[in-house]
Amino acid sequence: MKNSTSATKRGLSLVAVAIAALALGGCAPATPEPVTPTASDVWIKAVPELMDGMAMTGVFMTLENPSDEDIVLVGATNTTEGLTETPMEIHEVVKNDAGEMVMQMVEGGIVIPAKGSVTLKPGGYHVMYWDLLKPIPVGSHVTLTLEFSNDTTLDVDAVARDISTYAG
Amino acid sequence: MTQTPAEESETPGVVSRRGFLASAGVVSSYVAAGVAGFAGGALTVNAAQASTPEKEAQLRAGQQSATIPFYGEYQAGIMTPLQSYGTYMAFTLNPSTTLSQARSMMQLLTDDAARLGKGKPTLPDGEPYLATEPARLTSTFGFGPGFFTKLGLQGSIPAGFTELPSFSIDKLQPEFSGGDLVIHVGADNPLTVAHAARQLSRTAHTFAEPAWSQSGFNRPQYGVASDQTGRNLFGQVDGTVNPRSAKEFDSQVWATSGPQWFRDGTCLVVRRIQMDFAGWDKLDDTKKETAMGRNLHNGAPLTGTKEFDTPDLKATYENGMPVIASFAHVRRAKTDNPAEKFLRRPLNYEDGLLPSGEPNAGLIFAAYMTDIQKQFVPVQQRLADLDLMNTWTTPIGSAVFALPPGCQPGGYIGEGLLG
Repeated sequence: MKNSTSATKRGLSLVAVAIAALALGGCAPATPEPVTPTASDVWIKAVPELMDGMAMTGVFMTLENPSDEDIVLVGATNTTEGLTETPMEIHEVVKNDAGEMVMQMVEGGIVIPAKGSVTLKPGGYHVMYWDLLKPIPVGSHVTLTLEFSNDTTLDVDAVARDISTYAG
Repeated sequence: MTQTPAEESETPGVVSRRGFLASAGVVSSYVAAGVAGFAGGALTVNAAQASTPEKEAQLRAGQQSATIPFYGEYQAGIMTPLQSYGTYMAFTLNPSTTLSQARSMMQLLTDDAARLGKGKPTLPDGEPYLATEPARLTSTFGFGPGFFTKLGLQGSIPAGFTELPSFSIDKLQPEFSGGDLVIHVGADNPLTVAHAARQLSRTAHTFAEPAWSQSGFNRPQYGVASDQTGRNLFGQVDGTVNPRSAKEFDSQVWATSGPQWFRDGTCLVVRRIQMDFAGWDKLDDTKKETAMGRNLHNGAPLTGTKEFDTPDLKATYENGMPVIASFAHVRRAKTDNPAEKFLRRPLNYEDGLLPSGEPNAGLIFAAYMTDIQKQFVPVQQRLADLDLMNTWTTPIGSAVFALPPGCQPGGYIGEGLLG
């Protein structure tokens, strides 16, 4: 469903660009290259040791979209050797009907607004690692590839940071 | 005696509410920095006359957003003009911390410090809005003797970087002494200092245990005649003979020889000096000035009229007694030996009350020099041997650190040692 939505949107925008270009120059435009969003301040919550059944963590960052149309972060793939075999997911933290904060998959992915940005941070949007096969010590780096609705991808490097000031 | 601006700016209501002497330094700082200073304090008369409320607000906003570059040849926070607030934190490396983890720690601390210095939060910052007023924030890092020995880096210890000998006046307490890593944070906003200190200590905490933390304050620079040195809680000007020119820093502070990693670095001595206010308060002004060898109202040596006049140690009264007494602090500390000069960057501390009810207050004496043995120890030894000020001051903490040079973007503090 999310694919068809974004595809439709992209189609409409392309038409709009084409019309604008025709109006300006009066000749047929080349197909514009899809814009890849940029990522900054990429970090991952460190996992100093693997807990039984709790070997998961989140990746956080700021994504910027310099283009004139919304782009959606739709998925991510781990590229760090031996870190996990389980597909990654795009998550958010929301309040459920019982008033509890729970984590859930984001329907349709995370929208990066046109000419705007979105920040993935603890307690909000994040890219989720499941079933870690090895710890992620503070200061170590993991790599992953982000996938966007316009079929572009972006390789990022996340530094592992501790989130609590006085963790034992 | 001429009243100091700081005294004039204290309002009786504030002083009585905050208590006698114990809080005097804190009160004056806040008054000088805050609205009361603009309303009538002598500190800001000139500024107020030349200004409008809008201009004042602009000026203060500018102060809060002022930044000191983190990257450079030298670490920031040493040559940087003294900020109003500061914290020194020491850590003990975990026994399991390896050289590669120490490298990782310094890379992360560097990243944190560079962001905070620009008024940006650290990556895992839980209170990012506290990062938005850098107020000349600097974060400075150094390594204690244990850092070298625990990581197998003994061969890289600079020749002049040694532990201090024990001095007869010392009553050192372990909770203010030693440490493998020091982080010094300074800014003109106390909330900024507290936030940066917490961010950096979180990063260090993965690799090291907190050993001690000491926070202090100075007179704000804003609205104060810039040519007078700050005062300690005894009311004495402190730091008159500091290096000021780049040339003086080159000869006193920055290392130009020794291991390559240490070039453009320096050594830091942090001593916590407790003050005996009950004893000090019994002295009249003449006795206070005799003990110091400087007058109280502007810090001029007793043989001069202005703070920066050179003390004349040979001058005598008609009866043959020296004007600057044999036991005066100025005489004991003064040196014509250029090899015995160094930078003082002191902070006053005021941490509530001692069990006796007296103020738990004094001076965080922070001195920077190329060579502890040649520059600092001879001066400290003379003061320990004879200095009347020892009657009212007691060193209760002591630590030494070797500070690497600065770094460029992409690099990290300590890369020459750990890389």
